[in-house]
Amino acid sequence: MSDASTSSPEAPGTIPVTVLTGYLGAGKTTLLNRILSENHGRRYAVVVNEFGELGVDNDLVVDSDEEVFEMNNGCICCTVRGDLIRIVGGLMKRRDRFDGIIIETTGLANPAPVAQTFFVDEGVRSRARLDAIVTVVDAKHLPQRLVDSHEAADQIAFADVIVLNKTDLVSAEELAEVENKIRAINRFAEIHRTERASLPIADVLDRGAFDLKRVLAMEPGFLTDDSHEHNDDIASVSFEVERPIDPEKFNAWIGQLLAEKGPDLLRTKGILHYAGEDRRFAFQAVHMIADGDFIGPAREGEPRRSRIVFIGRNLNRPQLRRGFEACQVS
Amino acid sequence: MSGELERPGAEPSPDFLLQTRGAHRDLGAYVVAAAFDRSGAQAAFALGDGTVRLVAGEEWREIAVHDGAVLALAAGASGFVTGGDDGRFRRVTSAGEVGDIAEYGMKWVEHVASAQNVLACAVGRRLHLFDAAGTPLKSLDHPSSVTGLAFDTKGKRIGASHYNGASLWFVASKSDSPRVLTWKGSHTAIAIHPGGEAVVTAMQENALHGWRLPDEQHMRMSGYPSKTRSLSFTHNGRWLATSGADGIVLWPFFGGGPMGKPPVELAGGDGVTCNFVACHPGHDSCAAGFSDGLVVLADIGSERILPVASPGRGAISALAWSPDGTHLAFGSETGFAAIVDFSKR
Repeated sequence: MSDASTSSPEAPGTIPVTVLTGYLGAGKTTLLNRILSENHGRRYAVVVNEFGELGVDNDLVVDSDEEVFEMNNGCICCTVRGDLIRIVGGLMKRRDRFDGIIIETTGLANPAPVAQTFFVDEGVRSRARLDAIVTVVDAKHLPQRLVDSHEAADQIAFADVIVLNKTDLVSAEELAEVENKIRAINRFAEIHRTERASLPIADVLDRGAFDLKRVLAMEPGFLTDDSHEHNDDIASVSFEVERPIDPEKFNAWIGQLLAEKGPDLLRTKGILHYAGEDRRFAFQAVHMIADGDFIGPAREGEPRRSRIVFIGRNLNRPQLRRGFEACQVS
Repeated sequence: MSGELERPGAEPSPDFLLQTRGAHRDLGAYVVAAAFDRSGAQAAFALGDGTVRLVAGEEWREIAVHDGAVLALAAGASGFVTGGDDGRFRRVTSAGEVGDIAEYGMKWVEHVASAQNVLACAVGRRLHLFDAAGTPLKSLDHPSSVTGLAFDTKGKRIGASHYNGASLWFVASKSDSPRVLTWKGSHTAIAIHPGGEAVVTAMQENALHGWRLPDEQHMRMSGYPSKTRSLSFTHNGRWLATSGADGIVLWPFFGGGPMGKPPVELAGGDGVTCNFVACHPGHDSCAAGFSDGLVVLADIGSERILPVASPGRGAISALAWSPDGTHLAFGSETGFAAIVDFSKR
């Protein structure tokens, strides 16, 4: 992985924020304690909901109520965490005391409002950058959770990094099966198998997953066409095209797609080669909220293919493929 | 637009007032708030390092008040009151003695306010009221976290902004049910018209919302390129000065306004965001601090701009007038703090 300090050169001095999600009992607090107690020389401000659970001394723990607010911007799925906007603003008054922020969400939380806060609020955006969404899942109980609730699937769908914990409590076959279930929802997250949430903290912190420059850095775990779509309705698909993209066509297509299907599209990421442009265009969205910018050119000899990834519900694969293909220059 | 200002390097030096009539220090930490005590004899700067700096005459004193950052500051009955991210609501006397008024554990004390005989602090969804001596009077609940507090001029009512509106409480009421002013969305700051005619809030969506109190007619003031953090009515309530644009945006609250009236914009036009505004307690003028460190005084009637401090010392994060309007205190995110004397010589 690359140097954390260079992960977001377009926003110098912004604080990296890691979002820790996962069901109650999956091992979130264990992972958090591990991060805080390990001797890595970095200081974290931690935003928690249940202060009592945290056993480690940390001088910057903020107790917060998750306050999810709707925006009045005509976007039906656009919500933000009002408490985080205030907390990030407050923490910046003592900016010299920490190197990063970790936000632990409640077990049932949908990660979208947290992620959207970092896209929508200019004050937060100018001071902090979303680094990655890390989801802790329990290898033994995940299959049941996926049946019980849609939040478990949402948390996996949003994840950049998945900590597949408590692997010691399941057989090798069960573990393979649970990993398949995760892959069916999100083929693009990194999965780390752990016992007692033990893993090098570099695997979860400073990932730069929301950095436009690294938006598609994580290759899917396997590239087999996901013919085994599951009854739980979240899936991930990706498409590649050979010919350069026409920016006007792409903007018209993606704009309409996000406006119409935004509630179903949890995360969208793309790296595009525009006609007549050396630099690549990186694109990402959380529901309807999109962000994009030019990044450096492709490496010498790298094919100039454009690629887009969707993670969401009710994905109409042929329609999405046709739509993306039609964005190529004719 | 009028009232434009040459910057930087305009003649005469925009630092003229600061250099000839100012006292300033580099305090080394984010200036969260500035305030004067009720007598006007002492100023205070609250800092991100947990200290309060008391300034009287030539003397600047450093007082350790919070374990963490000071988040809010106001004048007390005498001296000052502060809220911190250590969960404490504290008092700082003019002699520099510090004591707890209340303690709230892990929760941040994000807002404090005071009137003649009442002290207030907001902690999460609750607003706590105390008498001038610090004896608890009551605790008032809101549907979501309180994001701003304001007393009316007489200290009889206090307004709290929150998600989906604002609540207006009578301090001395026995019933403790607020007048709820409703408007969908996240309200992030509040001001009460000096004549009690309106309540105005800033909103998450770069706009203001207002309620005309007699008939609860809604007012919407929009067009800001960024969020308004600071709202200040002029002493007579004729104008509402606001931050969030590249100049001071002043809405007329007379002649039927602000409905259907354009705002007056002063000291703008150069793309630098106005961060903070504070109207003078006795004249139709307004001090404003910008994100590049510029501080100006704007005379609203003549639209003339008087530079107070030049850009370059950090984004202005605090601004306050002394009660008699003779002194202006301001501070920046990078720790610059100054007091400028406007009194007759």
